[in-house]
Amino acid sequence: MLKNYFKIAWRNILRHKGYSVINITGLAIGIAACLLLFMVVKYELSYEKFQPAYSQIYHVVTEDKFAEGSTFNSGIPVPALEALRVDIPQVKFAGINAIYGSQVTVGTGSDHSFTDKKFIEKAGIFFCEPQFFDVFSYQWLVGNSAVLKEPNTVVLSKKIAEKYFSDWHQATGQFIKLDNSITVKVAGVLADVPANSDFPLGVLISFETLKANGENYNYQADGWGSTSSNFQIYAQLPPTVKVAAIDKELIKFSEAHYSNEQFGASKKTNFLQPLSQLHFDTRFEGFGNHITSTSTLWTLSLIGIFIIIMACINFINLSTAQAVGRSKEIGIRKVLGSMRSQLFIQVMGETGLIVMIAAIFAIVVAAICLPFIKHIASIEEPLSLLNFQTLGFIAGIIIIVTVFSGLYPSLILSGFKPVLALKNKITSASVGGISLRRGLVVMQFAISQILIIGTIVAITQMNFVRKADLGFNKEAIVLLSGNADSIVIAKQPVFKQQLLQNPGIVSVSFNTDPPSSDNIWSSNFAYNHQPDEKYPISMKFADADYFTTFGLHLVAGRVYAKSDTTNEVVVNETVLKKLGIKNPEEVIGKQLRAGNNKWNTIVGVVKDFKTSSLKKSIAPLVLAQNSRYYAQTAIKIRSNNVAKTQAMIQADWDKFYPEYAYTSSFMEDNIAKFYQQENQLSLLYKIFAGLAILISCLGLFGLVSFMAVQKTKEVGIRKVLGASVGNIVFLFSKEFTILIGIACLIAIPAGYFMMDKWLQDFVYKIDIGVGVFIISIVLSLVIAWLTVGYKAVKAAIVNPVKSLRTE
Amino acid sequence: MIQLRKIFKWVNTGSNRTFLLKDINLDIAEGEFVSIMGPSGSGKSTLLNIIGMLDEANEGEYNFLHETVFKLREKDRSALYKQYIGFVFQAYHLIDELTVYENIETPLIYQNIKSAGRKAMVADILDRFNIVGKKDLFPAQLSGGQQQLVGIARALIAKPKLLLADEPTGNLNSKQGEEIMELFKTLNEEGVTIIQVTHSEKNAAYGKRIIHLLDGRIEN
Repeated sequence: MLKNYFKIAWRNILRHKGYSVINITGLAIGIAACLLLFMVVKYELSYEKFQPAYSQIYHVVTEDKFAEGSTFNSGIPVPALEALRVDIPQVKFAGINAIYGSQVTVGTGSDHSFTDKKFIEKAGIFFCEPQFFDVFSYQWLVGNSAVLKEPNTVVLSKKIAEKYFSDWHQATGQFIKLDNSITVKVAGVLADVPANSDFPLGVLISFETLKANGENYNYQADGWGSTSSNFQIYAQLPPTVKVAAIDKELIKFSEAHYSNEQFGASKKTNFLQPLSQLHFDTRFEGFGNHITSTSTLWTLSLIGIFIIIMACINFINLSTAQAVGRSKEIGIRKVLGSMRSQLFIQVMGETGLIVMIAAIFAIVVAAICLPFIKHIASIEEPLSLLNFQTLGFIAGIIIIVTVFSGLYPSLILSGFKPVLALKNKITSASVGGISLRRGLVVMQFAISQILIIGTIVAITQMNFVRKADLGFNKEAIVLLSGNADSIVIAKQPVFKQQLLQNPGIVSVSFNTDPPSSDNIWSSNFAYNHQPDEKYPISMKFADADYFTTFGLHLVAGRVYAKSDTTNEVVVNETVLKKLGIKNPEEVIGKQLRAGNNKWNTIVGVVKDFKTSSLKKSIAPLVLAQNSRYYAQTAIKIRSNNVAKTQAMIQADWDKFYPEYAYTSSFMEDNIAKFYQQENQLSLLYKIFAGLAILISCLGLFGLVSFMAVQKTKEVGIRKVLGASVGNIVFLFSKEFTILIGIACLIAIPAGYFMMDKWLQDFVYKIDIGVGVFIISIVLSLVIAWLTVGYKAVKAAIVNPVKSLRTE
Repeated sequence: MIQLRKIFKWVNTGSNRTFLLKDINLDIAEGEFVSIMGPSGSGKSTLLNIIGMLDEANEGEYNFLHETVFKLREKDRSALYKQYIGFVFQAYHLIDELTVYENIETPLIYQNIKSAGRKAMVADILDRFNIVGKKDLFPAQLSGGQQQLVGIARALIAKPKLLLADEPTGNLNSKQGEEIMELFKTLNEEGVTIIQVTHSEKNAAYGKRIIHLLDGRIEN
């Protein structure tokens, strides 16, 4: 019996080639899209899952409660580590400190001489306690965690060991030098950490090394007042201990250690963030290259579900439309003794066959698209289609899609009355699907319109972000990142003189950060010898040329006089707003104290510029000079001959700092990186809105072709009665136009709601205007008309003598 | 074999009730060859469909081999029907997507007969109807008479006791029609009960009994 069904199914597919192509294409696109999105979501959800103690590992994070809300920090003050071990002995704690931009020089040859093999690890370098390996499990290829007990030892990942020493077997016993000052010995090799981890452990230097060189890396052994996201503590709870109990102890711990008045108006507390949240909690920054918010994962899943629903709708629509043509076969089979259930199974089986063919195409399409997935998701590891979960997903989706799209047509077909079916009295009206089919078309268009709205809003917002006035000039600025050690800083004035001799260079500034950066150094502060304010102030250290280099404008006062240490400061307008001061001149000459530093005189007020990405509001900011923090060189260049100027900058750098690796970037690129996830999402919308439109057009095309066949006689009669081609085309498009109108009523509120929520991520954002909706409506109408129009015109120009001849 | 008692069948059109069959009482014994005649719209096909269990009457009682048909569940009726009844249509009603062989085989599939058994039975009947050479052709590749031959072969494959034919020669020329009628006669002589609906006096004469229908009533 199955063979018979299979045969019939196969011949049906071949007989109705047009419909089969539409069905299979639609389903294949839908399944492929769904499969790819599934793989992305699955990958993101798999972060750290390889840790055997996954559910027992926690991250100790810090919350600063101000009167105006909380700020969160993934770091913790350094002395908290030992204090936690004393206060909460039942939990295993481990500290890890990341440093970025540091340079590694590799010792080569038998004398381990440090030549020109220099690297700057983008993923960072970690100072790591041996206890870290009690909390997390990693595979050791050489050595064990005990080697990290000693000062001046380093453990490398296999990949890094191969990069430095070409063969990881040879790595142990060799030396590397950190920032040209600390020599450490390679004492172990770790197997590469899987890519689905937020711990890019490549270079692990023993924590004792950091303790011995604390001043170079801003390590404050008793710095209860400073929290840097670079220093983090992880904990493993014994299975019997409850998280709530430890969180309670952490509140007690916070009160005992942070209650000191010197921390100003904020209330600092620690709490546990489960490892399972590490990759998804956007309040915190991880060591990895991205955090994926749960809402992004939901958006991805939702889009996948949308696309597959649309493909199923196509199938249902076309099968019910086709059902009329199959009524005779069904009638005969009933007369020959088939039971309804057997026919039901037969039609379901046919659906299953089509879905399976589509799934095979989908797998091929997905395999072709896999390398491009990195454009829509921050996944650098190649994904594999051939694993148990993915294959299980494909099997699952075949079953779900078969049932979902086959159920209704099967019920309709198997329910035909044999006498009516044989007399050809089954018409599309009696299939009962007309209103259902209309409903499904409305749903399809609603979904594609929601995606169109999403696309327009996302593109407009990202354009807005790109073109937004940041309050400073970001164009043609080269940033050189380096290390703020004494040798570098001592040479800076001469280096600057050298650079300025280059005709391509306009100005040079040494500083800690560019105006917009997500590197926030904030502190409590007081103004004019009053008590501390209830909110923190951000700090940037920069020389006086910072203002000209970045084109910052002063609204009052002047730029501070050149100096190497802080004595005069400039504040931004937001500080004034927060303090409730209207006239900027009023603050000139007043004093300000940031943290526990001395009181400094305010000499100028700078016009507000965006201190971070447009997702955050402008922070109250104080600009001051302090040359010992100037790790960065900002160079404004002329826009002609950029390449030549860049080459000359590098030549100068190599001349002045031969022992330091040269790393440069453009300010504009750095700013673009703020919006990596948003740009990915915007691209995602573009792709999937396109697919959605394609799928719904396929379905529409199928339906209209079917209508054209059905209406052949009607069109013939109408033409004989004098209808023009235009009248006929109107006849065809009228209904679809109404359906799209109804779809709009659904899509507009849904799309508005969805994108309004997305825009909440930005402090600076566009308004979703009526224009967005008008564009989306017009777009869907035009697309639908084009789809319908072709078939309608074709049907309309047929000579009526031909279409009526059969009568 | 067949007992029809007070069979009524009607359709409602608006507020009017149109009777298709009115008070039909009919007995047909095993081995009979009955021709039903009557003008268009007299209810011939409706009556045949009711006897063939493709349709139900609105009122009345139908006994088939001592089973009260209208009171059976769908499953039992279908089983009864599969075992005893074969149908032949004016428009042949072959499945276009299946070959001659497969068309004939289909009823056996629904009776859950094993593949080897099916092969033997289909081979038998192909042989008997002299259409072995056509078994791999599709219906569209056959002439009308040949298609009807396949239709009859299909109706007979499961060895039914009752063969119902709705104007079996209606679409055929007279020579082809005559051949089909001769075939029916032979079948009847072999013991198959046959009920046919026909317009043609000549074909009706092949039957041993002729029933005339007019406006849904049996005329005497």
